Amino acid sequence: MKSCIFPAFTLATILLTGGPAAIAQSGPEETPAAESEADTDPMQDPMQVVRGAKAWNETCSRCHNLRSPSELTDEEWDVSVTHMRVRGNLPASDVRDILAFLQASNNQ
Amino acid sequence: MTCAKYRSVALATVALIGLPALAQETQEQSPPDPQTAALLERIEQLEAELADLRGVVLQSTETASKAEAAAQDAVDRIAEVQDQTSPAPSYAVSPGMPDTKWHLAGYADVGFVGGDTPGPDSFVSGKFNPALHFQYKDFLLFEGEFEYATTGDGETESELEYSQIDLVLNDHTVLVVGKYLSPIGQFQERLHPSWINKVQGAPAGFGHDGVQPTSDTGVQLRGSIPAGVTRLTYALAVGNGPRTTSEGGVELMGMGSDDNSNKSVGGRIGFFPMPALEVGGSYLTSRVDGIMNPDMPVPAGSGLPLDARFQLWGVDAAYTKGPVAARFEYLKSERGKLFTATDEEPDGVLLPDLKMEAWYGQLSYRLSGFSDSEFIHRLEPVVRYGEFSISGHPELEEENAQNRLNAGLNYWLAPTIVAKAGLEWRDYTVPGVPDETLIQFQLGYGF
Repeated sequence: MKSCIFPAFTLATILLTGGPAAIAQSGPEETPAAESEADTDPMQDPMQVVRGAKAWNETCSRCHNLRSPSELTDEEWDVSVTHMRVRGNLPASDVRDILAFLQASNNQ
Repeated sequence: MTCAKYRSVALATVALIGLPALAQETQEQSPPDPQTAALLERIEQLEAELADLRGVVLQSTETASKAEAAAQDAVDRIAEVQDQTSPAPSYAVSPGMPDTKWHLAGYADVGFVGGDTPGPDSFVSGKFNPALHFQYKDFLLFEGEFEYATTGDGETESELEYSQIDLVLNDHTVLVVGKYLSPIGQFQERLHPSWINKVQGAPAGFGHDGVQPTSDTGVQLRGSIPAGVTRLTYALAVGNGPRTTSEGGVELMGMGSDDNSNKSVGGRIGFFPMPALEVGGSYLTSRVDGIMNPDMPVPAGSGLPLDARFQLWGVDAAYTKGPVAARFEYLKSERGKLFTATDEEPDGVLLPDLKMEAWYGQLSYRLSGFSDSEFIHRLEPVVRYGEFSISGHPELEEENAQNRLNAGLNYWLAPTIVAKAGLEWRDYTVPGVPDETLIQFQLGYGF
């Protein structure tokens, strides 16, 4: 191993783990997924949000970490979920449930 | 009337009027007997209970009135909603949503690569992949992604990763037209973005010059079909297909036009034996033409193979549950003998059968349940091992055939931001090719 690797390794380790770790720990807490579920329209099927939360957890985590619902607006989630429907071959019923959950949980 | 008669009438009158009053006065003054007292007390209790009941009845009446008003309000609102929804088309737009919506997404990464390699240790600019999604109502989506990267000599490389229109035909089928990421396997289509990929790079054979197709240009039908308690997913594609490279290999990326009339046909079918387990199988078949030198045409009747069949098949499996993610993919391709011009043989050369085979297994575990420390929660060790073998193309084999082991530790700053540190051991299988050990750091961000 080259001699300059070890200082570089140390520096990069500090930059990529220690620094970001401190930033992350001092930053705002991540939004709980279903924090504002009570804000959903009571006229809608309340079980759709529950089904959506379950499908969101099972489906999205097959490929990547679960993104917080608060990351996107209702409109953006609409587009993003359609994109994921195509990419992941998701069933339409799951897509509708997941979208209802995300839009009910994003505080927007 | 006589006097005696008047006296008699007066006495009778006094007796009839005065005696009852006298008797009543006598009775009030005397204490009631026990039976009467008990009756009087019982009467008082009944009067009190009656008053209580009147209060309860009044309260119940008030509650019932409120409930009736609330029920009527609910009925009115239901009728209002029904009035609004009844004329809606099959692909409705959510209230308040514009017909066209869009979303800017993508990912980027930066890093450092060093170690026991022929080149110097270096910071790398990584990639910047912006992706645009435009959606019309709920049935059409355009999605496109660019990839920008800086080369070692400072040039900026750009590439259109995909540019496709998705038309939702029904609940089970989406029509995809354009340049799309290859649906073969899982890695290229779903796992290669740096904020999703647990390791800094692609597995051996699943990147450039590998067996994994990156993209194709054509048309796809894809979606999901219920199958009992589980479901099948499918992606069936017809595209321009692969093309022979000037080095005599096979280029597996989407071309803007076809160089022959033989389209590629392939795709992937997946299913879920259990919710956490997905298994799939992929297949692709096509024909590739050799590159002809216009100045040196092949004589008619030479019998040389001017095109060859190309086949690729693979299997994949992924188990993801809680902090655990285990993945496996296998791909194998074969191309028959082919007469073609190459950079080294511009007048043409008969290439032998070309076979490529690659697989990898990967295991990662998020330490979310190991301690109360937030720092520990964000750590994720990962290990990956894979092999890539090539026969029928010595230069390609010398450059790429290898066994590769990766071991790394990831730190998740957020669900879409990851800092990766890892080691990569490349054991080249061609004798005489020196092995390499890489130290890699990468910061990836998905947005």
